[in-house]
Amino acid sequence: MAELTPETVMRVAREFYDYPMNAETAAAVAKIADAMLTDARRLSALGLDGVEPPFSYATMVAEAERLRRTLSGS
Amino acid sequence: MTAAHQEILSLDVSALSRLIRERKLSPIEVTDAYLARIELTEPKLNAYLTVTADLARQMAREAEAEIVADRWRGPFHGIPVALKDLCCTRAVRTTAGSRILADYIPDHDATVWTRLREAGAILLGKLNLHEFAAGASSNNPHWGPVRNPYDLERIPGGSSGGSAAAIATRSAAATIGTDTGGSIRIPAALAGCVGLKPTYGRVSRYGVIPLAFSVDHVGPMTRTVRDAALMLKVIAGHDRNDSTSNAAPVPDFTRGLNEGLRGLRIGVIYELSRDLEPAVEASFKAALDLMGEGLGATVEEVSIPYLAMSAAMTARTMVVRAEALEYHERWLREHPGDYGDDVRRLLEQGMAVTASNYVRAQRTRVLMLTQSESALEDFNVLACPTCSITAPKIGEERIQLPNGQLINVLAALSSFTAPFNATGQPAIAVPTGLSPRGLPISIQIVGRAFDEATVLRVAHAYEEARGPLPPPSI
Repeated sequence: MAELTPETVMRVAREFYDYPMNAETAAAVAKIADAMLTDARRLSALGLDGVEPPFSYATMVAEAERLRRTLSGS
Repeated sequence: MTAAHQEILSLDVSALSRLIRERKLSPIEVTDAYLARIELTEPKLNAYLTVTADLARQMAREAEAEIVADRWRGPFHGIPVALKDLCCTRAVRTTAGSRILADYIPDHDATVWTRLREAGAILLGKLNLHEFAAGASSNNPHWGPVRNPYDLERIPGGSSGGSAAAIATRSAAATIGTDTGGSIRIPAALAGCVGLKPTYGRVSRYGVIPLAFSVDHVGPMTRTVRDAALMLKVIAGHDRNDSTSNAAPVPDFTRGLNEGLRGLRIGVIYELSRDLEPAVEASFKAALDLMGEGLGATVEEVSIPYLAMSAAMTARTMVVRAEALEYHERWLREHPGDYGDDVRRLLEQGMAVTASNYVRAQRTRVLMLTQSESALEDFNVLACPTCSITAPKIGEERIQLPNGQLINVLAALSSFTAPFNATGQPAIAVPTGLSPRGLPISIQIVGRAFDEATVLRVAHAYEEARGPLPPPSI
C-alpha cells in the first residue's frame, strides 16, 4: 500500500476543510492516517459481515421530534 | 475552618443527608463549611474555574426553608455539589476549560444539573478539566493545571480532573464528570475517589458540550460507592431532550448494595491486567484476594481479546477524532491558535478519518460489545485495574513500563478504560490503596449493559471490606 504523503494531507485539509496545515503537522497526521488505514483494513478481517452499524432509526425519529418541539416552542 | 466545619466535611452524602433530613444539620452550615474548604484548598489545587458562592448560599437558604417546612425532596436536598465545566448552567459561565468558550453564558441547564437542582442540590461551582474534555491530564493550558491532592506536582488525571480533586480534598460533597475514553474513571483512580461511568444512554447528555456523541457518558464522582448509587438515581432516566437516552426504568441502585459477594462470579480480564506498575499489580492482586478469599466471590481469569486489540482500540479513536472534528470544525478553522496543542492535534487527526473507516469503526464497536457481553454470560462482573500506572508528573508525556517499553502517558492511562466507552457498558473505578509513594491506585469493575446495580453491589462490598483510603494531607 502506498503511504499517505504530508502533501496529500495538506491538500485534503485545505480543500476539504479550508484549513491551512503546516508541513510539520501534515507529516504527523500522515503518519497517524497510515496507522489508521492499516488498522481499518485489519478490522475488515474481524468478521463484520452482516453487522449493522449502531445507528438507530429510533434515535433519528426521536431527534426529529425533539427538534420539531424546539422549533415550535412547545 | 472551624471544628464544626471539619466534622461536616468528614461526612459523606449519605450521612450528611440523614442529618439534614433530621434537622440536626442545616444546609446553610454545610454550604458554609464547603465554601470555607474551597477557599483553603483552591490556591494549591486549581480544581474550580468558577465558585458560585452567592448562588450556593441562596440555594442553601431555600433548601433550609423547605426542609423546615417538611418539604424534604430526597437524599440530595441541601447537599453542595459541583459540576465539570462542560455541563451547561443557565446564567453561569460554562467554559469547557477552553479559551474559545471563555465567556460563554448558557441560556439553558444540562439535564444532569436540572435533575440535581430539582432534587434540592446546591451548586458550589464549576470544575476545571482538560480542555474540551479531550485528554487525560487536566493540564489545562488556558486555566492552569489541576493538581493531584496526593502530590501537587502530579496530574489528577482527566479529563474530569477538577471533579476528582474536589472530592478527594472534600471541597465538594459530590461532583459530576464526563467520560469519553476514561475521563471519569482515570481521575477517580489517580486522585483517589469513586467514579462511575454508567451505561451509554442511562444518563442524559443534553446540555453537556460534546466531545464524541457516540461514546460520551455523564456520571457521578463521589467519596463512596453508596453516594455514587444515590447520585445515579437522581440523574439517570429518559430525557426527551436527548434522543439517545434510554427509556428503561431506573432502579433504586442502593437496594442491593448490602447483598455481599457470596455466590457472585468475577472475571479478571486477562488482556487488561498486564504490564502494570509493580505497586498497581500488588494492589490489584490484594483486591482480588479480598473479593475472593475474603468475601466469597469466585474469581477467575477470562480472555476478551477484542478489548485490547490495537485495531479495535483504533476504532474508538477514529470515532472520537471524526466526531470531535465535526463538532469543532468551524472553531478550528477560525481560531486554531485558541486551542491547546494536544487538542488541536486530535482535531487535525480527525481530517484523516475517511467516511468508510468511520462506519467500519462503528460496526467494530458492535463486535467488541458482543465479545464482552458473551464473557458476562459466565460472570456477574468483569474486573481489571483502572489504570496500569499511578499519577504521572505534570507535563510528563512518556513513561517507562516495567518491561522497559516507553509509552505515551495518555495510552498508559486510558488503555483499560477506553474499551468500555466503545462497548458502552457500565464501569466503576474504586480505590484499592496507596502506592509506596502515597499515590492512589484503583480497580475497575464492569457490568452488563444497564446492570449498574450489580457493578455497584460488588464495588460497595469491596469498599466496605477494604475501608476508607487515607485522605490527602492538603
